[in-house]
Amino acid sequence: MKSFDGRVVVDVDDLILGSNPVEGLIGPNGAGKTTLMRMIMHSVRLDQGTVTFHPGGGSSSVVISSLPAHAMASLGVVKTNQVIQDFEKLTIWDSLLLAAARGRDERPFRIFAEKRVWAQNTAEIKRYLDEFPFASPYGFAKSAGEKKLLDILRCLLLRPKILLLDEPTAGLPADVRDRVMALVRQKAVDEYVSVVIVEHDLNVIWALSDYVHFMAEGSVVLQGDPAWIREHETVVEKYLGKGHVGR
Amino acid sequence: MVVSLDIDRTDESAVRPAWQRARAFFSTPPGRLVAWLGILGLLGLLVGTWGLARKAVVFGLAEEAPLALAAVGFALLYRLTGIINVAYSETVTLGAYFGMWFNTTFGWNFYLSLIPAALGAGVVSVITYFAFFRPAHRRSVGVVEVIILSFGLSIVLRYGLQLIFGHEQRYFKVPFQNPIRILGLGVPPFRVTALAGVIAGALILYWFIQKTRLGIQIRALAGDEKLAQVSGINPLAVTVLIWFIAGLAGGAAGAFYGVGATARPLLGWSKFLYILLAVLVGGAKGLRGVIIAGLGMGVLLSGLTLAIKGQGLYSEILVVVLFIVILKLRGNRMSEAAKV
Amino acid sequence: MSLDWLSAFLIYALFTVAGTVGMAQFLHLQMGLAGIGNFGIVGFFGLGMYTYGVFIRRIPWPDAMGDILPFVISMLAAVVVTALAGMLIGWFISDLDGDGVLVGTLGFATVVYSLALSEKRWTGGAEGMAVTDPVGFGTKGNSLFWLGLMLLLVVAATYYVARVHRSPYGRLLVAIGQNEPLARSLGKPTFGIKLSLFAIGSAGMGLIGAIFAVMNHFIRPTEIGIEVTLAVMVGLVLGGSARVWGAVVGVLLTAGLFDIVVQIYLPLPDSWYQITLPVVREMVFGAMLILVLLWRPLGVLGDMRRDKLVARLGRG
Repeated sequence: MKSFDGRVVVDVDDLILGSNPVEGLIGPNGAGKTTLMRMIMHSVRLDQGTVTFHPGGGSSSVVISSLPAHAMASLGVVKTNQVIQDFEKLTIWDSLLLAAARGRDERPFRIFAEKRVWAQNTAEIKRYLDEFPFASPYGFAKSAGEKKLLDILRCLLLRPKILLLDEPTAGLPADVRDRVMALVRQKAVDEYVSVVIVEHDLNVIWALSDYVHFMAEGSVVLQGDPAWIREHETVVEKYLGKGHVGR
Repeated sequence: MVVSLDIDRTDESAVRPAWQRARAFFSTPPGRLVAWLGILGLLGLLVGTWGLARKAVVFGLAEEAPLALAAVGFALLYRLTGIINVAYSETVTLGAYFGMWFNTTFGWNFYLSLIPAALGAGVVSVITYFAFFRPAHRRSVGVVEVIILSFGLSIVLRYGLQLIFGHEQRYFKVPFQNPIRILGLGVPPFRVTALAGVIAGALILYWFIQKTRLGIQIRALAGDEKLAQVSGINPLAVTVLIWFIAGLAGGAAGAFYGVGATARPLLGWSKFLYILLAVLVGGAKGLRGVIIAGLGMGVLLSGLTLAIKGQGLYSEILVVVLFIVILKLRGNRMSEAAKV
Repeated sequence: MSLDWLSAFLIYALFTVAGTVGMAQFLHLQMGLAGIGNFGIVGFFGLGMYTYGVFIRRIPWPDAMGDILPFVISMLAAVVVTALAGMLIGWFISDLDGDGVLVGTLGFATVVYSLALSEKRWTGGAEGMAVTDPVGFGTKGNSLFWLGLMLLLVVAATYYVARVHRSPYGRLLVAIGQNEPLARSLGKPTFGIKLSLFAIGSAGMGLIGAIFAVMNHFIRPTEIGIEVTLAVMVGLVLGGSARVWGAVVGVLLTAGLFDIVVQIYLPLPDSWYQITLPVVREMVFGAMLILVLLWRPLGVLGDMRRDKLVARLGRG
């Protein structure tokens, strides 16, 4: 639960995210979708309640709401950013290597670790860069689209177990968006990454997700198959509006 | 394999910070009892060590009252323009020198010389804004770099004063007066009037910023040039006004410091850390907090100096460490806190 | 080889310049890469100086140990104590903004200065204390020896800094300086990194301070004034706080020019040296800080060129 200035923004009773390969989280503006994501990632402090992470595969569950923010990524809980975030002075390769490098190689006296980090990660990074060409990969991300894409690629390089995508398509060109979504879908199906997408572009949600949570005024009011949610009267009224009926 | 996140509201959150847990505890009945016992204990301590506490309060307020005024000026600048101005310490020093100049060279009465002291420091403050901080803002110099820049400016002014006036300490010419007795302790009348003047000045500033229409506009529009322009207010005028008022407060504080002791080039710099600490620790609660933190610091300094006999340095070390620890315990909530 | 041209004055000036370069290199890691403005440089320098002095003077070293062993132990003590102090300050500033960093580091320097003055039994108070030279190469030989040691230390520090630029650690430091929340979200323990960063930087500054104590033969509170912080900072900022060679170039252009060329080779009236020149030096340095930050904030050498570096690493 989270409230700002006494106004409850998010009040979720008991929500389980990630039981399906790709889940959508939708709702009108101000429903608390982004706040919910931030609560999970600790950028917003919980007033009450806990977030528990079940890694699956026999590993024991972890209460992540009591961990420091940097501990999430190593557990496999990763979120892309809604607002563009970048390291101004780091190149695209730098950014990707930073995400891929392990903490062991980043200690103050590991001053000869650079070669190993390149050797270990070049193949994987090259694969992503071949799939999504940047204008100058040894240079800096210039356009907003490049920065957004870089943000998503960084998150993928963290090898997430559960990946929260906060409006991933905003700012991406249509063809790049489609390829990113295909890659995400493939990760979810082939590599068992649980993906949760917050998105305004409902076409992405309908096309991609296996299950949809619908949020309004801070709580999850509906859950179900995309087709069922789509037909549901509340959604149509509250979110899609009259103009969207029948789309 | 199912990887999932389970969000559950029923449990107590584990990430609540210590101060929040403490606050929650103090609102429960046993917590309230503890709080009252604590307050009673403090009062008991005050009564038990009345001899010391009395001296600490009287001397602390009389000697370090200008700290509160200087802190208010610094806080205005910091909260409304976001600039940490290390050279503010030289605004304080200049106040002392301007006051001394008018007092000794022109033979002005000390209270009369306060006016040129404050005005002069205010004008210098505005000049430094136009000469350095405005260009820096226009070139979007980073936050840390602006601190370094103001540090450089502080050095130039401080050593410039040293070059002109030399190292020697200079005194105000004030007639000797019989001490006034407060709580059974003799205090020089200048200290008492300084205290009164400082409190009055701080309250006037507080009232001006917090209550008057212009003050509210300043608070609302400072730092948001676009909004200011839409509202038909000249953002430059508002910014200049803020720098001028901050300079007035600093200059007056410097003159009060100067008449209490001496005018010397290092005067402001020796107080800068305390000003900064008072603003950072008290600033979360607005100007009122700054005034309270400044006065509290003065009382604590003199109290500790009296308790640890003759070792002023220890009390300074203890106060610095104590305030830094408070700052750390409270965490960096400055950005969330309301503006002044 | 004749060393006559190396006057005692010149050796000492070179030594000071080298020490300033060394400290500027450590400040470069903190400020140039990680974006943390350390205003308490002189605190770490002074703590190293005084720790060495207190250990070498106040511990009754048995004669059987000779001169060298107590010296080595005291030096190590200076390094360890300053590293611990650096960790403490690092912990304190880890979750604070620029204002918190300013007050924390400045406060630390003030506390060190006040302790040096007040703990008369240990530090000698305002009069200070004398420390002996553990090596015996004659007056000039000794000062040349310490100058050589300092130069060695500076070379080592510069090499370390250059390697850091080409290592994952350096990349992480830049990331923290640019966008700390983002670095944290990528799973980087930024608080811990700041802690170790300050521990290393402080240990380096403390070691330099301890060598200064030996070279000076005397430890006084006047040695640990704000002038030290200013000289280091203006050197780094002028040279280019983001570049490996920024500290070297900048300090040579500031302390190097002023302390060597102006003080030794310029024909100035004698009366200036005592009072006017030191004051003018600080004023010039302060003014330089302002001018550089307004006109060329990245210094003489300019911004770091990670694009070139990464291209070189990536292609070969």
